[in-house]
Amino acid sequence: MRSSYLAATTMGQLQQKLNLIGHNLSNSSTTGYKARTANFSSLLHQQINQNGIDGEAPRQTPEGLRQGTGAKLGHTKVRMDAGTITQTERPLDVALSGEKHFFQVQVTENGAAETQYTRAGNFYLQPINNNQQVSLVTAQGNPVIGENGPIVLQSDMDEISIQDNGNILVRRGEQQQVEASLEVMEIDRPRSLETAGGNRYRIPDNVPAAGMTAVAPDPGLHVGALESSNVDMGEEMTNMLEMQRAYQMNSQSISMGDQMAGLINQLRS
Amino acid sequence: MLRGFYTAASGMMTQQSRQDVLSNNMANALTPGYKADQTTMRAFPEMLIERTDSKQLPVHHSVNIPNNKLIGSLNTGVYMQETIPDFGQGDLKETGMSTDLAIWNGQMPDDTGSLFYTIQNQDGGTSYTRNGNFTIDANGFLVTNSGHYVLDEGGNQIQVNNDEFNVTRNGEIQANGGVTPLGIVYHPNAAQDFTKGNNDLYNLEEDGEAPVNARNAGGVTFEVRQGMIERSNVDTTQTRTEMLQTYRNFEANQQVLKAYDKSMDMAVNQIGRLR
Repeated sequence: MRSSYLAATTMGQLQQKLNLIGHNLSNSSTTGYKARTANFSSLLHQQINQNGIDGEAPRQTPEGLRQGTGAKLGHTKVRMDAGTITQTERPLDVALSGEKHFFQVQVTENGAAETQYTRAGNFYLQPINNNQQVSLVTAQGNPVIGENGPIVLQSDMDEISIQDNGNILVRRGEQQQVEASLEVMEIDRPRSLETAGGNRYRIPDNVPAAGMTAVAPDPGLHVGALESSNVDMGEEMTNMLEMQRAYQMNSQSISMGDQMAGLINQLRS
Repeated sequence: MLRGFYTAASGMMTQQSRQDVLSNNMANALTPGYKADQTTMRAFPEMLIERTDSKQLPVHHSVNIPNNKLIGSLNTGVYMQETIPDFGQGDLKETGMSTDLAIWNGQMPDDTGSLFYTIQNQDGGTSYTRNGNFTIDANGFLVTNSGHYVLDEGGNQIQVNNDEFNVTRNGEIQANGGVTPLGIVYHPNAAQDFTKGNNDLYNLEEDGEAPVNARNAGGVTFEVRQGMIERSNVDTTQTRTEMLQTYRNFEANQQVLKAYDKSMDMAVNQIGRLR
């Protein structure tokens, strides 16, 4: 039964979309998370040639029969629209204002350091080198890259704050000075980024890094605030219901195909 | 000979094909720009039944003369003749993505007329689609959701660089300070010359009439809506109903086939049986 197979294929793809929705929903309160969307695309239409039948009525379509084989999920897109800015008043929380702006993060995987990008600006200080120094890290503990590489500061500080231009101001006793600076990157085509997990993105190997430039944060960073996830719960729930119904419809196609096969089986009983 | 055997079997096969087409429509109920396939059933051409007989003349040297008689015509079943895409407009759904572009049909001089985007297919040739769920590839070109280039009026790929572009209602892309008209074509009878291919693409038949630029076609109006997709025009309620109907039709044919089998059983096992 052809109909059973094509429905089964489609159900697999619907499951993928459900997974995507589930992923969005579970990240509805992840700082700086960007929702992903995907749409369907039809699969191959097969041409079935009929033997010419004499005296056939004039046709409205080209010769042969074309039957489709289901649907598949097309390209997954990241929605880059900004999430709402939530005030936290925590000095190391920073939210990006530009929609295509990203923080740079150094990630070491299997011994190789790689620069990845994130929108999540909830930073922390992590002691390194026997508490001599502190490193500015993300929630996952990956060092944040500034203008001069990973941001590392001497640990005996009294106060630390980030300014809206990205400068990190440190006060030691009476002395206050800029000791490091965050570097914000603008990526012109954020859709070509690859999800790296942990709320980070990377530039895939086969993609030219074109359209990526270091920019001064304009109109400025929101300090003491975080960017909420841009997942729209209402929309995701609606999509989920739609997918569930489509899933049911396709499973019905399978059971109908099965019943028809059963009828063929009962021909001699 | 029980001719009805084959008639009932052809009925079952046809209903099965119809079920395949309906299931595929159902599977594509969420595919943007998908056009539902409709099926047409047709009886096999009529067959003329003639009785072949001969008559012996009561004369000395008996002479046989043929005595053939026409009985009438008989249909020997049904087959699926065509799958015809219904090019009717699908509903528009707002997505808020600047790369989603939906065509809204306006006035068209032919009832069967239809509008399409022009797409570069994998062989470098031109194909057509209604699925306006586009995106931007790594080099900044506008592509379909399966990665085929979207073409402009002159048949060139469109480089928009990023998703900050505007599309006017008449299908002109305003990007990088320039204006690029999207390639939108009109075909007066798309079902006749286009075949459905992979990834929502329609291909022109070799001997088919090429579609014309929709902007130059007389009496054709359309709008391109940015930030919207055209939903599939599959009506799930109707499709489900038709599937049930097809199923029962299949069942009825199966019953007929079984009835014939019973007759055959009689013929084989009961006639001339000695008790």
